[in-house]
Parts: sequence; C-alpha cells; structure tokens
Amino acid sequence: MRYPHCGETVSAVAQTSKSAVSQVSKPACRAEADQVPIWKSAIRQVWKPALRTIAVFITIAAAQFARADSPSITAVLNNSETVLGQPVQLEIQITGAPDAEATEEILADGLEIHRTGSSQRIEMRNLKLTSSVIYDYTILPLRAGRFTIPPQTIRAGGKLLQTPQLTLNVADLPGRSSGGQPSRGAQSQPASASELVFAELIVPKKVAYVGEIVPVQIRMGFDARVHPRLVEPPEITGQGFTAQKLQQSGENLETINGRPYDVVTFKSAIAAARAGKFEIGPAKAKAQVVVPRTRSAPRSRARSPFDLFDLDDPFSDPFFSNPFSQLAERREVEVKSEPVALEVKPLPPNAPPSFSGAIGNFTMATDAKPKSVQVGDPITVTTTISGRGNFDRVNAPETENERGWHKYPPSSKFKQDDEVGISGTKTFETVLAPNERKQSLPTLAFSYFDPVKEQYVTLRSEPIAITVQGGPATANVATSQPGSSPPATAAKPNSPAPVTTKPQDILYQLTERPRAVESFEPVYTQRVFWAAQLIPLLALIGFAGWKIRRAKIDNREAWRMAALQHEAAELMHKLRRNDASPREYYAEASRAVRVKTALASGGREIDPNMVDAETAADAFKLNGDSRDRLRRLFEQSDEWQYSGAHNGPGRISRENRREVLELIENLRA
Amino acid sequence: MICVVAAPSALAQTDAQFAKANQEYAQGDFKESISSYESLIRGGPWNANLFYDLGNAYFRTGDFGRAILNYERALALEPHHPEATANLQIARDEAHALELQPSWPERYLRFATINQYSFTAAVAFWVGVSCLVLLIFARRRSAMAAVLLLAMFSILAVAIFSIWQLDRGVKGRALAIVTADNVQARIATADTANSVLALPPGSQVKILSTRGDWIYAALPSNLRGWIPAKSAEQVRL
Repeated sequence: MRYPHCGETVSAVAQTSKSAVSQVSKPACRAEADQVPIWKSAIRQVWKPALRTIAVFITIAAAQFARADSPSITAVLNNSETVLGQPVQLEIQITGAPDAEATEEILADGLEIHRTGSSQRIEMRNLKLTSSVIYDYTILPLRAGRFTIPPQTIRAGGKLLQTPQLTLNVADLPGRSSGGQPSRGAQSQPASASELVFAELIVPKKVAYVGEIVPVQIRMGFDARVHPRLVEPPEITGQGFTAQKLQQSGENLETINGRPYDVVTFKSAIAAARAGKFEIGPAKAKAQVVVPRTRSAPRSRARSPFDLFDLDDPFSDPFFSNPFSQLAERREVEVKSEPVALEVKPLPPNAPPSFSGAIGNFTMATDAKPKSVQVGDPITVTTTISGRGNFDRVNAPETENERGWHKYPPSSKFKQDDEVGISGTKTFETVLAPNERKQSLPTLAFSYFDPVKEQYVTLRSEPIAITVQGGPATANVATSQPGSSPPATAAKPNSPAPVTTKPQDILYQLTERPRAVESFEPVYTQRVFWAAQLIPLLALIGFAGWKIRRAKIDNREAWRMAALQHEAAELMHKLRRNDASPREYYAEASRAVRVKTALASGGREIDPNMVDAETAADAFKLNGDSRDRLRRLFEQSDEWQYSGAHNGPGRISRENRREVLELIENLRA
Repeated sequence: MICVVAAPSALAQTDAQFAKANQEYAQGDFKESISSYESLIRGGPWNANLFYDLGNAYFRTGDFGRAILNYERALALEPHHPEATANLQIARDEAHALELQPSWPERYLRFATINQYSFTAAVAFWVGVSCLVLLIFARRRSAMAAVLLLAMFSILAVAIFSIWQLDRGVKGRALAIVTADNVQARIATADTANSVLALPPGSQVKILSTRGDWIYAALPSNLRGWIPAKSAEQVRL
C-alpha cells in the first residue's frame, strides 16, 4: 500500500471504514494538505511506535551481547538409567558462544553416540539476552552395564570448554523383543540392514499376576528418507489380556548403524485376564512410505543392501539425490514387531475381605470433616489412595464395624500422574452418619496385592477421634475402636473387626387379619372411586335442571304480563278516541276491564276472557257505586254485543264516555 | 345365592391358612411359613399385616432383601403401619441397604397418602363446581361463593400436583427393591460393563425403563444404571 507524500497529488483515498483511518491533524505539507485531506492508516499509526520499540530492543540486545558473560558449557542426560535397546538423549548446551561447533560423534565403550540435531536458543532474563547452542545426541547402549561418557572438549569464543564426565547405567531387558531393528543390543534380533522400517514391543516383565497392570512400549522406526505416514495406528494383538489405548509419547531422530531413523514411541498398559502363558503381540501398524517408482528397464546397478521391495535398493536410486529427476510413489508397508512371552500367575487364595482386585503398590490417607456432630448428622470421610497399579479396580475402602453408623455410597475421582493411568491418586468421599453417640470413626480398610512382595497387604486408617452429641450412648463404644479390639481379632489383620453388639430384633408377628381388602392401586385408578363421583354429579345436574325450569316458567309469565299490559294500553288509547261506535266502544271498555283484572291478579294467572263484572269488582275491591257502574258497563257491552239492535242513540254521549273512562282508569289493585 | 354361601366359606379357609402360617412361624418353621404366606398372597385378598408377617419370616431366614420388600409392601398398603416401619429400619440396618433420596416437594407432601389426596381432590372439585353452579343461577351473586370457589380449585390443583409428585416419586409405582445378593448397577446392559454402584439387598431403586433382562433404574446417590431384571422386585403388585 502506498501512502501520499508531500508534493504528490492525492487523487483517491482508500478508506475502508471510518474507524480504520484518522485525519492527520498537522500534515507535513501544509499547502497541499489544506486542499486535499490526507488520511493515515491506523496500521501506520501503530507501526511507528512499534518500530521505535523494536529499535530500542535491538539496541539493548546489542549492548547486552556486547557485554555478554564468558561462554559456558553443560551436558545433561535425559535419563541416567536405561534398559538395553532404549536410547537416551544427551544434550550439550554451550552458552555465550554461538559459533561453537561440537563433534558429530562421541566415542564411548559400549555406547553408540551420534549427533542427531542442533538448535539455537535466545533467552532474555531481566533485560539480559543469552544465546545458547544446543547439540542433541542419541546414545544407544550396545550392552548392559555401567558406562562412562568421557568429557568432550569444545572450542568456543576462543576458549576451550569441557563437558563433565557422565555415567549411564544400562540394565539388561530379557523381555524385550526387536522386530528386525538394525544393529541393536544383545536382546535384539540380529541386525538386518535391508529393512527400512522396524518395530519393537517392550514389555518390562516376564511374569505378572492376573489383573496386574503391565506397562508396555512400542517403538516404531522409519528410515528418515521414506517420509513415513501412519495409515493405521499400532495395535497389540493377542488373547488373554486387555490393552489400554495407545498413547504416542514421543518422536525423535536416532542414528542406527550410521543411518537416521525417525523413531516414534507409543505407550500403553496391558492386564492379563486369566492365568497361563501368553504371547503379547506382535504389535502391528500400517504405514505409507515414499519409494522411487520401479522401472521396467533392466537394472544396471548392483543390488543394494537396502533393497526391500523388488530386490533392488530404492535408496541407491537417483530419486533420493534428486527427487524431481523421476516420479516417486507411495507404498503401504506393514510394520510388525516380534511377540513377547508373558507368564501370568493367578492371585494367591485367602484374599482379605476388603480386597477388590487392586494390584500394585498403594498408600492410603484418611481425613474426616466435621469432627463434632449431632447424632444423625453426616460426616464426610475422605480417603486418598495413591500409588501405582490398576486403579480401575481400586474401590472405596471397606468400613470395619459399621454398627451404629449409616453409610452412604461413596463417590470417587481419579487423577492420573502418567500417560496411561498406571500411577495416580484416587480420592473417595464417603458420608457416614452416626446413629448413636460415638467417640471415633470406624476403621477403613483397603487391601491390595503387592506383586513385588507377592502377598496381600491391608492398609487401615488411623482411628479418627470425633465428638457425637445427642441420642443414646453406644453400648459398646470400644468395639468400634481398632485399638481396643480383643487380641483374638488382632491376630487376624485381614478380617474385619468382630461385631460384639447384639443385633436388634424385629417386632412380633401380627396374628390379626383385618377384613378390609387393601389394594396397591391408588384409589383414583379404581372404578368405585369414579362411580362414586356420579352421586354429586347427578345431584348437581338435578339442581341445575330445576333451576333452569324455574327460570323458563318465570320467563313465560313475564311475557304474558307484558302482552296484557300492552293490550291494556292500546285499549285505553282507543277508548280515548271519539270515532268508535257504541258497540265497539263498550266491547273495548269491557275488554280493558278484563285485561286490567288479569294484570291485577298477578301470579294467579287469570284468563282475561273468564273475567266477569263481579270478578273484576272483587279484584279491585270496588265499593257499591263503582261496582254498580262496572256491572252496568258489562251489561251494556253484552247488550251491544248480543242484542243485534241499537237500544239507544247511535253515538255515545260525552258524559257516558267520560264516566266509562273514569271508571276504567280508577281500576287499581 | 351361591356367592352368599361361598364367600364366608372362602374367608374361613384363608383365616385357617393364615393361622397355620402364623403357627409355623411361631414354631420356627420359617421356610414353611414363607410358603404359606406366599400362598395366601397369591390367592388374595391382600392386607398390610400379611405382607408384614411375610417380611418377618424372610428376616428370620436372613433374606433381608425380601424382608425389606415385604415391609415396603405393607407400608404401601398402610403407610402408617408402625410395626412394619420399625422392622423395616432394623432390616435396612442389617442389610446396609441404600435408600433413594426423595425430592424436596415429595418430602413435604408425604404427610398424606395418594388416596387421601385423591379424596381431597374429589371433594374440592365438587364443592368448587357447586359454588360455580350457585354463582351462575343465583339472582344475587355472593362474594362468599366466589371466594369458596377459588379456594376449592386451589385445593384441587395442589391435590392433583401432590398425587402426580408422589406417584412418580421414590415411593411411587416405579419403586423396586433389590432382592438378590451382590448386585452391581452397571453403565451398560452387560455383565462386563463398568460398575456404577454396588447395591446391597434391600436397596431401593426406581425403575425408569426395561430392556430385555435388564432394568434401567434411578439409584441411590442420584446415580443411574442398569441392573439385571431378576435382581429386583417392584413393590406395588
């Protein structure tokens, strides 16, 4: 990316986002900056101080180098003890002399020591820079014994530096098997220089017990020139044992017989499932290696000792000197070790009761919290079992003499200290609750089989004093304390402490047999329960039906009354008009009286058609005069209705009309 | 007519068999008495005392798993059976049996049984419905009826929740008791699978599902695992 400078015309600004750039407040070229805004990248803003910091750092470093201390040398073995066939790494570190050059090979009796690599390290401590050159050597023991690596003299910074003399102990390993590894110790197969790959299965024990965890190691070596790639990871074949998942533990370059090998190490552990003599392995894997493509043309070269695939040494091919001169191909090869014999012995009889199958070497520590409780309160007992062995069979310690305690199932967690889980620490937490007053926790016992001592070992926790308050005092507190156990039990350390308290007896038999039949089924699943619900259901339905019927009846009466009121109002309206004939007028007047009488009767439901003058007079409790006038009204109405002739004037006089209206309007209940 | 005549006769027969089983127990013939009690249970009818006596007989033979199972059955029929409660505790102590931990609602709801909650729910429902009907048909709606309606339906909801909680709880229908010795709960349905928990006889488990000859169960200490189906029996028959 190019940034504008003074004197240049800025035609465009590559602004990706507003936050990524900022305007320069004081441009170096003021005149042009006034015309065109100059933007400066955020990266550029950061770079400037960073470059400044680096420059300062380099200056300090140079100064530190300038006044570096005088050169020094150290030589360290990664392990001072090994077994035959197991290489050891030697590291020679020269500090303060970057130009120091170490030898390619170190001569030592019984050891083959080749330089396998070098590296440079620059460290800064308290602003002081130190430069070191590290030379790595691989030491291959050729035989068992105690060997001395002589001091090496190296010229560094104009000085002669000398490494210390180192000692390496090499143990014999009878169980080791070598799958054609070139040029190895006494236990190896005879060297076969024609192999590009090798595998060896290392089982450190020849004899083991059923269930005992035996660590195993697989070393797979590939000629460094074949660019190996594992297609199938190694596996240990065989029957009668279980093997844990293989874990790759390292990869290094070793020189064997002057030829570099990439050696990959895998670790695992096996456990025999039954007694007998077994063959462990072979360990097998499949890998792809790069070899030159075979040619059909007749060979002109002499056969090489590295010929593995088609009786022609692939590494004498020009491919390895110039890989691009011709095509190469990948081939799949099987890498296989020799099997290893293992004798598996059964565990001796008379295992202690607390033995759960743990084999190895363990220690146990116990603690409890809290130490002062009430009866029934929980106490968490933490037991830590550490050591080396088959931790999958390490169960929680047994509680000896649990009487008076309520024990809850323990929980456990395991912390492994190695790659395959042979060594580590398993912690159990058991909750105990005292049912009565106690003075100490019950003893916890853990048993395991020690394959070295070839005997069972029982570890017991130390008595832990506690205070339990409340509840009844224990009848025999001493029985819960291991220290006060009777001599007869002390003679049997592997058996739990005897129970001396008399067991509680159950209550009497009940000879009465109740007549009531009981069922495990909850009552709501029984038919009789749901049948019983019909009683309130029917009662409610009956009540609701009655209420609905009552409401309907009330409603009908209301309608009838409303109709009568309406009719009465209409009749009164007609009576007030002047246009009706006497016949119509008296008929409507008598009808109005009947309707008003029906309305006045209320709940008695009197039919208006059935009302006569006497009924109406009684309903309205009329006096003698009004009663006579009402009687006359009904007579006149009947006369006009039934006589068929006009007995009087064709029209009703005003007085008569007023009299009739007055009579009807005054009819009030 | 036949029923009226046959029923007292059958009752008399089971009474005689019960008396015989008790006599065998009193004489120390515990295995014989177990056989007699089992026969009575097969024939029915059941009651708590019968299972309690059978539990005692199993206890005497040292079969703590089945003793605990039958005490649990007695308590399932009659939750406040004092003798069964006492002997169950003794048997559990002897067998070091493990117990399931009830959830906190279950712990508080245990003061009544499922049947009591069922009756309470029924009564609350009908009283509540009656209040509702009254509120619908009454010309003047009473506040008292409304409050009562609310209270009854609240009681109904609590009772139904209690029934549901107790029925699926540790004392519910899925409760089973380990009757076999050396039972290991495992992480898978295979004898070679890793063990989750060792279950002493008499330990409580809650059956979650069944697969072939294996039961997937909730175990004490909030664990879960597979146990052989024949190693445990369900409490509720």
